[in-house]
Amino acid sequence: MNTPLLAGRPAVPRRAPGAVNSFRGQHRRRLLTADLLTVFFWATLALAVALWLADGGAAGFSTLAGSFTALGITAGLAGMDLVLCMLLLAARVPVVDRTMGHDRALEVHRKLGKPALYLLLAHGVLIAIGYGMAEGLDPVSELVALWVLVPDMWLAVVAIGLFIAVVVTSLVAVRRRFPYEFWYAVHLLTYAAVLAALPHQFSVGALFAEGTWQRLYWLALCIATGAALLYCRVAQPLLATFRHQLTVSRVVPVAPGVVSIEMSGLHLDRLAGSGGRFFIWRFLAPGLWWHPHPFSLSAEPVTFDAGGRGSLRVTVRNLGRGSAQLASLRRGTKVAVEGPYGLFSTAARSRNQVVMIGAGIGITPLRALLESTPFQPGNATVILRGHGEAELYLGTEILELCRRRGATLFHLTGSRPAGVQTWLPESASRAGHRLASYAPQVADADVYICGPAAWARSVIHDARTAGVREDQLHCERFDW
Amino acid sequence: MRARAAVSAALASAGILLAGWQAGVRVEDTGSGAVGTLSGTDGTAGSRTTGSGTTGSAAKAAGTYAGAVVQTRFGAVQVQITVKAGAITDVTALQLTDAERKSIQISNRAAPLLRAEVLKAQSSKVQTISGATVTSAAYLTSLQAALDAANL
Amino acid sequence: MNSPALKTRTFGCMGTVISLTVPAGTGPGTVGPDGGLAAAAAAVERVFAGLDGTFSLYRRDSEASRLARGSMSLRAASAQMRGRYADAVGWRLLTDGAFSPERPDGVLDLSGLIKGYAIEQAGDALLALGVGDWCLNAGGDVLVNGSPRPSTGAPWQAGIVDPQDRDTLIGGCPLGGPGTKRALATSGSAERGDHIWGARSWSARSRTGPAGAEFRQVSVAAPDIITADVLATAIVAGGTPMLDRATDGWEIEVLAVRGSGELLATPGFRA
Repeated sequence: MNTPLLAGRPAVPRRAPGAVNSFRGQHRRRLLTADLLTVFFWATLALAVALWLADGGAAGFSTLAGSFTALGITAGLAGMDLVLCMLLLAARVPVVDRTMGHDRALEVHRKLGKPALYLLLAHGVLIAIGYGMAEGLDPVSELVALWVLVPDMWLAVVAIGLFIAVVVTSLVAVRRRFPYEFWYAVHLLTYAAVLAALPHQFSVGALFAEGTWQRLYWLALCIATGAALLYCRVAQPLLATFRHQLTVSRVVPVAPGVVSIEMSGLHLDRLAGSGGRFFIWRFLAPGLWWHPHPFSLSAEPVTFDAGGRGSLRVTVRNLGRGSAQLASLRRGTKVAVEGPYGLFSTAARSRNQVVMIGAGIGITPLRALLESTPFQPGNATVILRGHGEAELYLGTEILELCRRRGATLFHLTGSRPAGVQTWLPESASRAGHRLASYAPQVADADVYICGPAAWARSVIHDARTAGVREDQLHCERFDW
Repeated sequence: MRARAAVSAALASAGILLAGWQAGVRVEDTGSGAVGTLSGTDGTAGSRTTGSGTTGSAAKAAGTYAGAVVQTRFGAVQVQITVKAGAITDVTALQLTDAERKSIQISNRAAPLLRAEVLKAQSSKVQTISGATVTSAAYLTSLQAALDAANL
Repeated sequence: MNSPALKTRTFGCMGTVISLTVPAGTGPGTVGPDGGLAAAAAAVERVFAGLDGTFSLYRRDSEASRLARGSMSLRAASAQMRGRYADAVGWRLLTDGAFSPERPDGVLDLSGLIKGYAIEQAGDALLALGVGDWCLNAGGDVLVNGSPRPSTGAPWQAGIVDPQDRDTLIGGCPLGGPGTKRALATSGSAERGDHIWGARSWSARSRTGPAGAEFRQVSVAAPDIITADVLATAIVAGGTPMLDRATDGWEIEVLAVRGSGELLATPGFRA
């Protein structure tokens, strides 16, 4: 046969099997769990109020002073319940993480912050008014009297002060003015605030008097939350760190201000398939060890033997002071690891088609996702966005992966047009291109988006316009 | 799916509150109707805003309007809008420049593009023409025939 | 830049018209004064006529016609016929059936392959004659060598007809010169009166019907003319899936016109 063909042509991909959606079951299970979590959340809130109702609390509404006190108690119960829910949302509990994803959980966590604070403030104010009216004192005098006379009450007032500090430093406008480390330190005060708030609930609150089932329930709730926090945020990370024994093996510059950190360790096969999920890394070097770094793997772990001995890699851009020092990490530096967290992975898939869109350093989680998430050739589109080619980090690796797996790849570089809300570069935006121009199948695809918040919002808007539903959108922020 | 969560949460919360209240009534034996207002706390779970599109303004004259040519740092741009029943139905860029064309496609897949974006060719500048000119009859009226005739 | 001085010879064969164009000047690798062009054109014509005699279905006495009638089996056919049949079957495999050596009625029809093969053989003949700069156009399928301006290295400029208005060009493509693409072939799904040399349209119609063809016209630029010709035909027949398979698997540039007039192009056709 003398057919003049080109050498090195890859095998012609076979046609994809019929339109069976292999992710449907996973998707439905995830939605069901999400709904159950929602029900659970509202049920605990209702239960907090029901505890008090069951104790005959509603009778307090017969007098004006009693009404204030009753509302104050209800506000306190609901507020504490919200605080516990917030703790659970931030605890990186596996079921929450796998169902909502880390970002969404933290988003809900943030949303609950202000209501919780208002409820707790209302609790203090209403109780002071109610008790004061009953005793013929003005609210301020009543507050002083409570502080002085009632044991554990001063702790409760301190707790309120701490809660205010935590919520205020977390407000977007305030948070921007301080370094991440300051916000983080203040945020740790939440634990102090919760601990300070607990004693008065059990010593003063008649509702939780010894021997009542309300006391048991409330204790169980608090202990369960504390156990979840300890297990997920302390025990698990320690276990993972000891299990994997990670050390830095190489720091490779990728682009100006961007480095890939390669680490070697044990049992890395257990971290395979995490796709674009992120880990919290702590590099145990002087001045660095206390700083947590959330990065995704930028490549699937490579293992050399059955014991899972191997290496893995993260790719990092110099975003803050902590990240800058990473470029000078020394070989052999021990690394503590937690994770993987988040839903930026195959676990979030609901369709056969997949569209991955990344900007800047947000491209690196896509690299790992592209490597591991299943799709038939032709069912994936990868769109990389940056100011210039140099900003399309890992571009050549991604190009190679796209070639191998049969994904369509677009590089969109150039500045954004001035005054227009778009995620596209000027030229593409002017030509009238949209997400659907690059990925015509987007309405029936899972869309993974990773990039700066404002840019991601613009992509999400475009995706929604193209008919992408909320549960198909998977977004990962990287500008922490 | 969200509706399912909202309805279930509302029902569960209402049930729990009702049970709590009933228990409270029995304990104190002085049940008060006033607590009914409290059960409202769970209702918010199910509430959803349903926006109703109201385009109150009178129907604007339908037609096509071209905007002024604006000099941007990327070149001259002019936009044309099409108005139907008071709403903009189409926006087209009339005048575009090729400055700062940076969007490139890396994979070799064929992607949609506008006619203006195709590598151009003028009849006077080409030496040969490709087309589905399969028959001799089609050749006679083709551009290739004209080119060939010029070089005979 | 003024147009290069060119000389063209045309002749009819395989139901279409073949044009051979060379630079008019003299110099190393050119054909020189008219005698040389006449000899070159004659060589090209011999190649085409020879293949036409064997492979055309409209000559009753051709080997292809005898095969089609069943008065001869493929086993008894010439080595040339069996070789081209093997080529065509290979292409059918590579294009997942979008390109086929058989008409829907089962008759062996290699015409979809033979024109490209003839162009390639004719090109080899020209190179063997020592002609270095030429452009060969057979019914809209183009193969070039060298440059229209000898020793400048400038590429040949090929235009692509707009299927909606046959008198204008929808785009262009440099061929030869410094680039690796030497061939450009265009297939259409809306060509009329092509019952003889219309294997491409045959296969397109058999799968999608004339009205349902996704692409009205597909142009493929490739390093060689057979790849360009076969893939253009296959994409018209196989639609977007074949287009993606072709661009993934071969080093080609594609400009495709959808039935709606919408354009799809690989980066090489972008301005």
